Amino acid sequence: MNLRASLKMLGPLVALLVVYFGFGISEPAMFNRTVIINILSQSVIVGIAAVGMTLIIISGGIDLSVGSIIAWTGVIAAFLIDQSLSPILVFLTAILCGGLCGFLNGSLSIWLRLMPFIVTLGTMQIYRGSAKIFTGGTPINLPFDETRYQLWMGGTGFPYGIFLLLVICIFTSWILHYTRFGRHAIAIGSSPATARLCGIPVLRTQIFVYVIGGAMAGLAAMMNVAKSSQGDPTTALGLELDIIAAVVLGGARLTGGQGSVIGAVIGALLMTCIRTGCVMHGIPTPWTEVITGIIIIIAVVVDRLRQRHTLC
Amino acid sequence: MRIFHLTKIASLSAICALGLGCNSTTKDEKRTRIVMIPKGTTHLFWKSVETGAKQAAKEHDIDLTFIGPQREDDRSQQIDLVTNQAQKNDAVVLAPLDRVALRGVALQVAQMGKPVVIIDSSLADSDSFITSYIATDNREAGRMAARKIAELLDGNGHVAMMRYLQGSASTEQREEGFLEEIKKHPSISVVSSEQYAGATASQAQDTATNLLTRFTRDGKLTIDGIFTSNQSSTYGMLQSLRAMSHAGNVKFIGFDGDASFIDAIKKKEMQGTLLQDPARMGYLGIKVAYAKLKGEPYEAIIDTGATMLTLENLEQPDIADLIQSQVP
Repeated sequence: MNLRASLKMLGPLVALLVVYFGFGISEPAMFNRTVIINILSQSVIVGIAAVGMTLIIISGGIDLSVGSIIAWTGVIAAFLIDQSLSPILVFLTAILCGGLCGFLNGSLSIWLRLMPFIVTLGTMQIYRGSAKIFTGGTPINLPFDETRYQLWMGGTGFPYGIFLLLVICIFTSWILHYTRFGRHAIAIGSSPATARLCGIPVLRTQIFVYVIGGAMAGLAAMMNVAKSSQGDPTTALGLELDIIAAVVLGGARLTGGQGSVIGAVIGALLMTCIRTGCVMHGIPTPWTEVITGIIIIIAVVVDRLRQRHTLC
Repeated sequence: MRIFHLTKIASLSAICALGLGCNSTTKDEKRTRIVMIPKGTTHLFWKSVETGAKQAAKEHDIDLTFIGPQREDDRSQQIDLVTNQAQKNDAVVLAPLDRVALRGVALQVAQMGKPVVIIDSSLADSDSFITSYIATDNREAGRMAARKIAELLDGNGHVAMMRYLQGSASTEQREEGFLEEIKKHPSISVVSSEQYAGATASQAQDTATNLLTRFTRDGKLTIDGIFTSNQSSTYGMLQSLRAMSHAGNVKFIGFDGDASFIDAIKKKEMQGTLLQDPARMGYLGIKVAYAKLKGEPYEAIIDTGATMLTLENLEQPDIADLIQSQVP
């Protein structure tokens, strides 16, 4: 199990190193401390959300509403900060709000017997619209003298957000592999019918998976607010695709049963690394998009080929 | 049978006559319906366009619909909006997301005999069928930014420009105007103009951080001037400069208004931002469409002007009014 898990991570890690050193050889500034911090901190938002998404995808689901949850929770958090609520309460509310959104996603797909793809396609619009209604469409700026949140995503040293991502990543990976709940989630993703026959509480586990996914999106929203000092109802548009791409790059199968939390974080780092590398090289933005797309496809194909050889 | 028919016809024509009578008396009271379709509805800029439009609608008792696409790069949704809204309204005032993509549908509306007024961003090859083009002279606004940066740098140094989005005519014209004017200063070199910020402030901030990192050597910025061409890219750049503790060490000219830009100008983290007059744009957009419908005179091209907001003129009453109109 452990050998397999670490093998699973090896693929994305190799891809990350190849891309990073590839850019680094022609532009040594890539090895600077600042650039490394940039890559790490720009991966925090996608990374945290991708950890939650990995759980969801492993259990056979999907959450398209994650970008909207980040926007919706973000505007609520910014509103509360504006009302000078203490940071701990703001963080808790954001996690709770994200968790509730996740609960709605999970319970709707179960009670209405709809595919999560369809349910979250709907809630994606609902959460996004709610954010726009709540703010009247314009971003809520944090008070200009509010600096407590900036340390999470900025400041001179390593932003706290990076450590948060690390802790979440390790903790969730442990949950997935060493707790009953984690194993249940994997079993449900592999075969829901078998899981049910084995006496696994399928519905409860599935809902809980979505709640965790939503809570992670809530934390990602806090990081987004901390980063841009505002709650923007249009932020994170299309971010769900970046997040899903990170999870897939990390070795997950969209059909469920397989995936790696650490791999997903590496996937997020890989995409940020490409973006940062392209800017550092002065490569025009449209080319960055093409390059990102090509690397995503190559990385996943290589990973699949390698798995066929080593595991089967 | 015949008699029955006759009475039927008689009563029908009576109803018709009544109806016509009613029509002729209510015709003047029937409110003119005009739709305004902005590029998006979330930027503050569009809020002030809406304020201006509402004022004009109030003055002429116009039934105004203000509706935009959900995201500022969704051309196809805007095309659908124009098609659908043209059915229900007497005139269309449009801020096209794309100068080419929206041309076909605008032409269709014009061919239906309904006035099309273009605001904010130009539409390709459209002089023959649109009623009027009302916008900031964006190229000139870009030149103003370049002149200001050249003045701040005493005519020499390294300058970076971060673009907004591909295909957005208004910002592209600003960017071109900026590059055109800055070329006149041989000792100023543009070290980067190839990066696009992207649609949201959060994306802009990542791009800005990477760009600034590229031009940081030993903790110091190697660029002396920065220009960004719209609200979200300016916001992202400002946040990034602050996070990297570079704010104030570089001359920074932005575009559009936001409370945080005013704050930054006061703290000397920004040397200026170009304010357009969106409320006037919205106001004139509706006015001109109405004039066309009523057969009154109007102008085919109207420049609503750009104003450079600086620390020096922040308190002037006319500038303060302009800020008031677009910064909550």
